[in-house]
Amino acid sequence: MIYLVGALIHSRVGALGLLRLSEYLSIRAIAAALTAIVLTLIVTPRIIWYLHRRGVVDQWRDTGVPSAFDKAGTPVMGGTVMIGCVVIGTLLWCNLASRYVLTVLAALLWFGAIGLVDDVAKWKTGSGNSGMTEAMKLVLQGIFAAGFVVLLASPYSPLPASQATTLYVPFVKFAIARSAMIYLPFVFVFVMLVGNAVNITDGMDGLAIVPSVFVVGVLGFFAYIMGNAIWAKYLFYPLLKDAGELIVFCAAFAGAGIGFLWYNAYPAQIFMGDAGSLAIGGCIATISVLLKQEALFLILGGLFVVEAATSQIQDKIGIKWLGRRLFYRAPFHHQMQHTGLAETKVVIRLWIISGMLALAALATVKLR
Amino acid sequence: MNQPKRLLLTGGGTAGHVNPALAIGRALAGADTRVLYVGVRGRAEADVVPREGISIRFVRASGYPGGRPSMALARFLGNLAVGVCQACVILLSFRPTVIVGTGGFASAPVMFAAALLRRLHLSRARIFVHEQNAEPGKLNQAVGRLADRVFVTFPETLRRFPGNGVVAGYPLRRRIAAVDREQARSRLDFTIPPGRQVVFAFGGSQGARTINRAVVDALRYLLPLRDRLFVVHGTGLFKGGEYDAAADTRTRLESVYTEAERRDIESFYVSRPFFYQIENVYSLADLVVARGGAGSLYEIASLGLPAIIVPKSNLPGDHQVMNARAMARCGGAVVVYEDVSLVDGQIVEQVDGRVLASAIAGLLADKDALAAMACGSRAFSQRDALGVIERCIWSSQPAGEAAGPGGAGAQAETPGVAALETLPSNHELLGLLERALSASGSSYRPEEVVPSDGDRAYFISRAASLLASASWERRNLGVKLIGLLTARDDIRLLLALLGDKRPAPLIKRMVGGDYVQVGFIRRNAITALGRIGESSPEIEAALLAAFDDPYYEVRAAAARVSARLSPFLNDRAAIVAGLRRLLSDRWLEVAGSAAQALGKVGSAYDALPALVGLKDARFWRLRAAALEGLLSLVDRGESGDPTALTAALNGFVLTSTDFKPEFEIKRLYGRLLKTISAREGGDR
Repeated sequence: MIYLVGALIHSRVGALGLLRLSEYLSIRAIAAALTAIVLTLIVTPRIIWYLHRRGVVDQWRDTGVPSAFDKAGTPVMGGTVMIGCVVIGTLLWCNLASRYVLTVLAALLWFGAIGLVDDVAKWKTGSGNSGMTEAMKLVLQGIFAAGFVVLLASPYSPLPASQATTLYVPFVKFAIARSAMIYLPFVFVFVMLVGNAVNITDGMDGLAIVPSVFVVGVLGFFAYIMGNAIWAKYLFYPLLKDAGELIVFCAAFAGAGIGFLWYNAYPAQIFMGDAGSLAIGGCIATISVLLKQEALFLILGGLFVVEAATSQIQDKIGIKWLGRRLFYRAPFHHQMQHTGLAETKVVIRLWIISGMLALAALATVKLR
Repeated sequence: MNQPKRLLLTGGGTAGHVNPALAIGRALAGADTRVLYVGVRGRAEADVVPREGISIRFVRASGYPGGRPSMALARFLGNLAVGVCQACVILLSFRPTVIVGTGGFASAPVMFAAALLRRLHLSRARIFVHEQNAEPGKLNQAVGRLADRVFVTFPETLRRFPGNGVVAGYPLRRRIAAVDREQARSRLDFTIPPGRQVVFAFGGSQGARTINRAVVDALRYLLPLRDRLFVVHGTGLFKGGEYDAAADTRTRLESVYTEAERRDIESFYVSRPFFYQIENVYSLADLVVARGGAGSLYEIASLGLPAIIVPKSNLPGDHQVMNARAMARCGGAVVVYEDVSLVDGQIVEQVDGRVLASAIAGLLADKDALAAMACGSRAFSQRDALGVIERCIWSSQPAGEAAGPGGAGAQAETPGVAALETLPSNHELLGLLERALSASGSSYRPEEVVPSDGDRAYFISRAASLLASASWERRNLGVKLIGLLTARDDIRLLLALLGDKRPAPLIKRMVGGDYVQVGFIRRNAITALGRIGESSPEIEAALLAAFDDPYYEVRAAAARVSARLSPFLNDRAAIVAGLRRLLSDRWLEVAGSAAQALGKVGSAYDALPALVGLKDARFWRLRAAALEGLLSLVDRGESGDPTALTAALNGFVLTSTDFKPEFEIKRLYGRLLKTISAREGGDR
């Protein structure tokens, strides 16, 4: 919005040179990040108190007496606040004519809404387990993934037609596959898996948000490169016109995430809930696909991949089918905790790991 | 009222639903009544109904496979949709005034179609449902909500049909009535020597493997009574799959008994697949052995026959068990539960022939008891079900008056039936027991959850019968229940499961599976042994074997159980050696449990040095477990020389990567609440 207003005024009144700044992606990205941080910092405490007064919190165990050791009684609407702040930051600072931004905003809101309904259902039934059924969640996510696949292949695709169905892998300069029959089903599965990976990771204070910020940051960097004719040519990336706007979105996201971490850091005052974790998952899945970095996600989001994989292998193959545990505990962060690491230690170690993975992913820009 | 009445009957799938429908049909049919039966092609009704001279038409339907999304559910819904359409056509052409459904999947299409047409004002037929069992089936429950009246057999079922349920009892075919003994004798195709007591054993029209095998096995123990006794055995018509009732019974007779024994047996035993005129056999019988279906029970009870009932367990709602227990409470029957036993190391479901034989012999020997049971049996059935149903259906009163649901009128029709309770299902029972266990910890006793000995015995037998299941989830459930119910008699079954080393299918082994008795089953079997808390050389051997199990949770459980059984395991060198070996296990949980267990079973000579040796173990959890073990040793006076021990402990690595943070405010709040409630208690 400010982008449009700035451009409009600047084109009419040449004197207001300062407003020219609003055309620069870098400036708008920083502004979006700051907007989102400040907004979350202001809004979250008010929401926390509001939720406490309304009693919209995790339930105590059936004893009715709070245990001195567990975190029951923490409100879960952090994700919704985050989504709101990202949306405001984006609306203020993005060029909303970019189809990339609109697609990712749709993912944010759709996945966020699924999570919100689930959170509210859990709160209403007063238990941590009986929210929406898993099948229902998967169906709703599947609707988005299918719509997204159709969009990619349609004339309204944000991607240029020559790139809509190509698959790139890290360390290789050219597309390794150009078949829609292979690529589109792959995108569907990818969105479904990544969309849920953050949700599985979100089990400890601050565990999901910091790696998410790393991932979003790196993806924003890729958006900048691929949307910039000079950089794209220099680094042999396909030029994706308008994709640069995604860096503004990513910056807003990272900002909201950091603002959220302020309150979510151990011991947490608020949780992101399914609304937050599904929205983050949906966003990073769609951004990765739009920037042709699906395969890179194996490295960039390696932590999420490992968490989701261990949890699914343990549950679906081990416990449900073989009748035994395959890992000591799953997902991976529980495994670490059960070998005797304090929660804070687990979280910080996984931050370090995800930071290293993010750096490795950045290195692929040159190593191709 | 002058126009002819048109009656549509539906219900089936099995004879248990067809017979009541026919009984009601015959009671209601008059000269001016047209009757049509709607059923499913190829099922019991297709055979029986035309023989009764009633015309039948067919719709598509199949059994409800459960709510889980599956191909079977899709097929069920498809069949139901087609069936409802067919039923609509039938209803619109026949235009019945009264529709009576007796349950079973065959009745569902007609009932749904009738409710639909009524909603559309295309039909004015009144809809009635009869539920035979104490616990209604899923379809009957759904259909019952749409019906004008639901006739139930047991008063307890009323709560499933609030508003429109009426206690009626079981509509018996009128032709089942006592026949003169001499006449009956002359109509049989075999002769019963005079002066013998007659036992009639059958498992319903299709036969029941459990009863058939038990009867054959029981003959050995009944042989000494062969001059006073005659056994008539209806094996049933079932043929299909892996079981052929008549053939299986014959081969079992041939394999269990020698030729000489078989000659003796023939003097007091006769078997037939089916008795088309069952009333003749009933009339001669002094005692009946049967399954717990409502139909069989009411037939038996209406003739005032004493019975031994072998209910099929693990049916929906446990309805056969409920029926049997209701009859037993009236004094008309003795309930013998199915049990499982070991045959060649495999667990099979069966009734021990010796148990059945002693029940038979005991009852027949006591004439007074038998007479009392006959009275009890009659009391169980004293109800004119058909009369109630007839009055209710033909009465012109709208619903809710004459025999108001649950009102005085309905209750007056139900003398002699004691209240039936509902039993928790296996899963519910597991939940109850687990909650009690976590609430009371080491003072846990299953008697507090299940106070009645009879119930506990049934739960144990029901859990044990799960062990013969083909699905590991059900076997696992059975193992957990046996442990939580502390079923001492089933220790041999647990040991058999642990000793069963058949490998899992190759595809499972490729991704980490090992044996057919999966890891969870073995872990829970070991844990169950600990919970039962007995020891024997076999249990010790099983523990030792479990120390080398490929699955880590089994090894860990074995270590924990040896700690639990420590009073029996003192100075067992093999156990201590096994636990010491586990200290270096790759899995932290195993090594930790072994360290704790060593403190309970080890001594200053073997366990102490091993535990002190863990003082610089890499994981603090293992070091902490070693400390716990040492603490137990010191408590037991197995510390050796105290100064030497203190010196040895010097340098124990105490750094840790974890600690327990605490929310001070929550602790204070909890303390305040506790103090307030203590005050409250003190003031009273």
